Amino acid sequence: MVSLFNGMSPRGVLAQVMTVGLMVTSAFMFWKGLAVVTNSPSPIVVVLSGSMEPAFQRGDLLFLWNRSPRVNVGDIVVYDIKDKAIPIVHRVMRSHASDRKQLLLTKGDNNPVDDLDLYGYKQNYLDREEEIIGTVRGYLPKIGYVTIFLSENAYVKKILLAGLVVVSLLQRE
Amino acid sequence: MFSATQRLQNVFGHFTSVFLMLAAAIMLLSYTHWWLEDIWELPMSVRSVEPKILMKYSRRFGGSNNQGKENCKLKVDFDGDLTPLFNWNTKQLFVYLTAEYDGDRPDISNKVIFWDQIITDKKDAVLDYHNLASLYSVYDTTNSFNQRNATIRLEWNIQPYVGWLIYGETVIDGIKTINFPAVEGAKKRKTRSKK
Repeated sequence: MVSLFNGMSPRGVLAQVMTVGLMVTSAFMFWKGLAVVTNSPSPIVVVLSGSMEPAFQRGDLLFLWNRSPRVNVGDIVVYDIKDKAIPIVHRVMRSHASDRKQLLLTKGDNNPVDDLDLYGYKQNYLDREEEIIGTVRGYLPKIGYVTIFLSENAYVKKILLAGLVVVSLLQRE
Repeated sequence: MFSATQRLQNVFGHFTSVFLMLAAAIMLLSYTHWWLEDIWELPMSVRSVEPKILMKYSRRFGGSNNQGKENCKLKVDFDGDLTPLFNWNTKQLFVYLTAEYDGDRPDISNKVIFWDQIITDKKDAVLDYHNLASLYSVYDTTNSFNQRNATIRLEWNIQPYVGWLIYGETVIDGIKTINFPAVEGAKKRKTRSKK
């Protein structure tokens, strides 16, 4: 590792490490800041399945918003049920709302039936407060495919990350 | 200074800004076009809506073996032209028929989709249906619709190739409300509100 920094003063090495740290933390801050603004734990999601085709295909990037206390019928929401691994992007087909609570039934545009079988055991409706991560507002096609590629090929991710760190450490202005 | 990584970074950065500018231009022009077309004022003529109630006893229809659930289906006649919703940035149009009705308490409101349709081609955007059967067998959280009135709407959602989603509804000319009928031959059950 020492030979990597050949010809650099200790101060220079530290400055370089600082720059890398700054890059990582500012990316993290941007993500968390967006989460605060949108009130959604995951404000940008990548579509993983084809159940909303032709509206959304695998790899499309969705921008979420979670500030409205009630979602509308016809809205496309992202929901995350406890004990189920992957969040799902589907359309709201029914809403039963009171002052305290909103119950929702969802369905994928490309699926023949509603999501009853995707919910938890004996669960008939989604809960707006508990299970909705956000409503889809904006859309960019295909860009998210990069992340699908990375997460399905873990070694590529590791190589890429290591490469990035090495490159940014070696870079000199 | 001019290393390979630097060059790669520049190319990538340039590509990103070109892509984003292009997307912004497409969005701006298409949204202006939709706005000029007055798409929130499209007329839809609804000539007839006939609701029918059936008792169902399976989980798929909200019921269980010993507890029946009122399920409602519709027969609808309507026509209208939605072609103004199509321009170069329309990826798909999602048209849906909704009914909104009250609940047991004044703070409860319910809204359900009875029928929907995905339209991806401008040629298919002229709707004209006779005796169209609703796609979904709709049930409430309680066991009965209690012969309430419901407001009918034909709404749409434009899914663009790039940009934000647009929602709107048509201006209905004709039948705007329906009344959920009683179940024929069944004795009235006590409704149970579900937690």
